[in-house]
Amino acid sequence: MTASSSPSPDPRTRGFLRIGAQQWRDIWAGIRAIAPLMPGAVVFGMAFGALIQVVGLPGWMAPYASSTVTAGASQIAIVEALRQGAPAIIAIVTALVINARLALYSAALAPVFSAFPLRWRLGLAYLMTDQSAAVSVLTAGAWPDPVRRRWFILGVSGPFVVVWILGTAAGVVLGPVIPESWQIGFIVPLMFIAVLVPALRTWPAVAATGISITVVLALKDVPYGLNVLIGALAGIGLGALVPERRRDPTAGESETPPEALP
Amino acid sequence: MMTAFIVFTLAAIGTYAIRISGIVLLGGDRELPPRVGKALSLVAPAAMAAIVANALFLDQTEWRGFGAWHLAALVAVGVALWKRSMGWTLLTGAAAFAALLLAGL
Repeated sequence: MTASSSPSPDPRTRGFLRIGAQQWRDIWAGIRAIAPLMPGAVVFGMAFGALIQVVGLPGWMAPYASSTVTAGASQIAIVEALRQGAPAIIAIVTALVINARLALYSAALAPVFSAFPLRWRLGLAYLMTDQSAAVSVLTAGAWPDPVRRRWFILGVSGPFVVVWILGTAAGVVLGPVIPESWQIGFIVPLMFIAVLVPALRTWPAVAATGISITVVLALKDVPYGLNVLIGALAGIGLGALVPERRRDPTAGESETPPEALP
Repeated sequence: MMTAFIVFTLAAIGTYAIRISGIVLLGGDRELPPRVGKALSLVAPAAMAAIVANALFLDQTEWRGFGAWHLAALVAVGVALWKRSMGWTLLTGAAAFAALLLAGL
């Protein structure tokens, strides 16, 4: 132990897990930035863990899925597809369509991550979630130093994934204890209403939502849970045809007017 | 069980490829084509709406009988539009659902 009691010790000599004090402070700042969203991840993780047991899969499968796929909506879609006897390929394609949204976050984070070493970019990408991507994009501007920024983003994304995995494990343990009469399955629509509806702000998004719901219900008798996959694709494809309505009437009026829609 | 393990593993690999796509392909100043960006921005609302509709209105392939699920979801949507807050939506939706179950719906 070579650390002295001088007022400004070298961070390298004060390290815990060989991570310096300044880095720990930056990680902690990241954790504080995402902390308000952690309770939702715990509840959602518990719902997924409980669901795994309801469909009769072994309990370890829940934390395994949460630590490898690490995207709750697609994990639930996989379980629902398998429950309806879907072939593996349909379950996988459904999950990947749902997770295609992560490509958008990846593109948004490309300039934020561009000054990081490759192993940091690959590692932080693994920890990317809807929530951590949103917080990272919104707050990265306050961290101009790329070295401190990567520790901050590690704090934003890492512990959030840990909390999600722990919530999943808790759901596996508590799932059998929760009485069936509580109908914990309601957390699935409720969670997605809570994420989806407050963020519905553009006409294309509203149209995609309406089309998706209509198609899912119209195709309710289609086997293997394919109605979810087809409904999502229809919502994306048809919603993309709806133009954004500009708030400022002087801006961008040269584009297709809304009346030209089918 | 083996099927589920393989499905989760392959979905994990594919999802990681999606996660690194933009970070690896778009270095610093290159950006997504606007049409691609718009379509990707609709994946979240379309996919989440599909899951909500499937879980809320259907029970496997049958219509879910009208009751606590629909009413509590209606409360949640109302609060979500009013407060624009994920926390409030979860809280009031869960509270409404519990109250409706206790009321015997």
